Amino acid sequence: MHDLFANLGLGMHVVFQLVDWKVNFFGTQYVVPNVPLNLAFCLIGALVGTLIGVLPGIGTVATVAMLLPITFGLPPVGALIMLAGIYYGAQYGGSTTSILVNIPGEATSVVTCLDGHEMAKQGRAGAALSIAAIGSFAAGCVATVLVAALGAPLTRLALLFGPAEYFALMALGLIFAVVLARGSVLKAVAMIMLGLLLAMIGTDIETGVDRMTFGFIELSDGVGFTNVAMGVFGFAEIIRNLELSAESRDIVKAKITGLMPTRQDLIDSSGAIARGTVIGSLLGILPGGGAVVSSFAAYTFEKRISKTPERFGHGIIQGVAAPESANNAASQTSFIPLLTLGIPPNAVMALMVGAMTIQGIIPGPQVMVKQPDLFWGMIASMWVGNLMLIVINLPLVGVWVSLLRVPYRLLFPSIIVFCCIGIFSINNSPSDVIIAGVFGLFGYWLAKHEFEPAPLVLAFVLGPLIEENLRRAMLLARGDATVFVTRPISAVLLAIALGLLVLAVLPSIRKRREEVFVEE
Amino acid sequence: MTDGGQTSAGGSGFHFRIRAPREFWGGIVLVAIALIALYASRDLAGMDGFQFGPGTAPRIAAGLLGLAGVVVAITGVFTDGPKIDSYALRGPALVFIAILGFAVMVRPLGLIITTYLTFMISIFGSREMRLVESLIAAAAMTLFCIVLFFVLLELPFELWPSIRI
Repeated sequence: MHDLFANLGLGMHVVFQLVDWKVNFFGTQYVVPNVPLNLAFCLIGALVGTLIGVLPGIGTVATVAMLLPITFGLPPVGALIMLAGIYYGAQYGGSTTSILVNIPGEATSVVTCLDGHEMAKQGRAGAALSIAAIGSFAAGCVATVLVAALGAPLTRLALLFGPAEYFALMALGLIFAVVLARGSVLKAVAMIMLGLLLAMIGTDIETGVDRMTFGFIELSDGVGFTNVAMGVFGFAEIIRNLELSAESRDIVKAKITGLMPTRQDLIDSSGAIARGTVIGSLLGILPGGGAVVSSFAAYTFEKRISKTPERFGHGIIQGVAAPESANNAASQTSFIPLLTLGIPPNAVMALMVGAMTIQGIIPGPQVMVKQPDLFWGMIASMWVGNLMLIVINLPLVGVWVSLLRVPYRLLFPSIIVFCCIGIFSINNSPSDVIIAGVFGLFGYWLAKHEFEPAPLVLAFVLGPLIEENLRRAMLLARGDATVFVTRPISAVLLAIALGLLVLAVLPSIRKRREEVFVEE
Repeated sequence: MTDGGQTSAGGSGFHFRIRAPREFWGGIVLVAIALIALYASRDLAGMDGFQFGPGTAPRIAAGLLGLAGVVVAITGVFTDGPKIDSYALRGPALVFIAILGFAVMVRPLGLIITTYLTFMISIFGSREMRLVESLIAAAAMTLFCIVLFFVLLELPFELWPSIRI
């Protein structure tokens, strides 16, 4: 317990640290002394994250991917703190959009849309927005402490992991992604396989042979995670939104008044916030895209225990409070597998891996031991980032609303241009931009046939790690495939994975699962 | 919406109808992708004793993808399901052309011209576009991008066409 607070204290110290800031301005270098630089990065991250996340049709993943290049020039701690800020900002921006316009940026905001937009139509947009912020902040506080508390023990556990255990854990993560995906289990499995296959394009790590590159030199480094993510989450979404007519984007016209929720609102939503936080924190730790499902799960749970379930979908405040707290808690606890085991549990965390690698940090148990200031600084910045959101976003609601009033015919070309420059700047490679464009069209096709892109992207991220650990485990066991069931940790993980998969295809559970996702 | 497959219930055997075209064609495309992957990895070495070769994992993944695709397609034949949504042509085509245009132009023409032109191409993806308004918005967005990426973030871009002989 003492350690926990000492560590959080170290983190706070890193976040609030005053440093001399060196700026290059038109060739001359200025030094500004005593600037809380990391705090500033956190603030800027939360601001621009919200700014981009608010744009209709741009979800969290696309926002983080778009803004990744702007952190390249920063020192490692600052870059990661800023990215974390961008992440929370993007998520909050997404909820703002789903409350004010009926276009959810991505799956996490779909549920918020149901009651949030109804509330906005009834002139209670202010209350919905502030409850979303308050719920997120409360959930963020709990989740931050949870991440800090679980960090050390899980890191020790991670040191017991060999290749077989890593393989089993990632297999479990993929199974989770299948079970938690919307729609058919079979199609989600197909998406996993497709993601793994795409991840294998490029040079084989062990033998150095080009695999499935069709002779393109551009592909020998692989397809590139940012390209895939930008394609299927960014460009594909734009293409799909273009199909909607202007009328279907129904922005709340009324002026937003009364930002503060009433005392009754707070009382009504406090239980929902607490339950949402618990559900979100638990689901977030699971590898396999917890943030999405946690908002669905929290909403469904809230509706089930409510005395007035019929009011859900007609602008009840619990319907906003529960999913918003849940997805914020989950988005924070999803840092746990990344920081302790080095396994990204969802697409945003995969982008974090990319950012860390660019900064020369290999995510995994070593980070906490070797770079405690970075590890704890990042965790402390989560809490500070959440605080920032509540401080900056409520007064800035007017700004976000005016941004939403920009017609889509002007927004989408701006997003395209911005994405193109962002992708290009990562490797200075025009072919990356083309690859992202191709994945944009492919993502559009996937949507038309109701294939979920999330399991694909997760499998794409985990692909190289899975293959490497599978090969290594087989090599260490001298080709004996039973190694995965004779080593206890690996056996338990695989048994859970198998159990889950069986459960998911059982008819009775399948029906319940569909119920969770089809909320109407 | 999901209905409409009842008519052939009485007639037996010979002509069968695809009852869920969206699933069927989705599955078929997955199978095609799996076959392409198997073809592309045909020359890669497989298992060497107990050691994985570079071709082992791709073939496993492609095999399972193909299998899943076949099952999805078969379900599409035997169970009722929705039709394929109509595809839009204009939006996807122009968005893709704009992206492609960016990739082709950015090296020779520099960032400023490329950004402006990419913006102007993509506006045609929407039916609601207005020319004059877009010309101004494109200029504003170009300025914004230059300030952000070049001035503030100091990323190494060529701004203007570079003439190489």
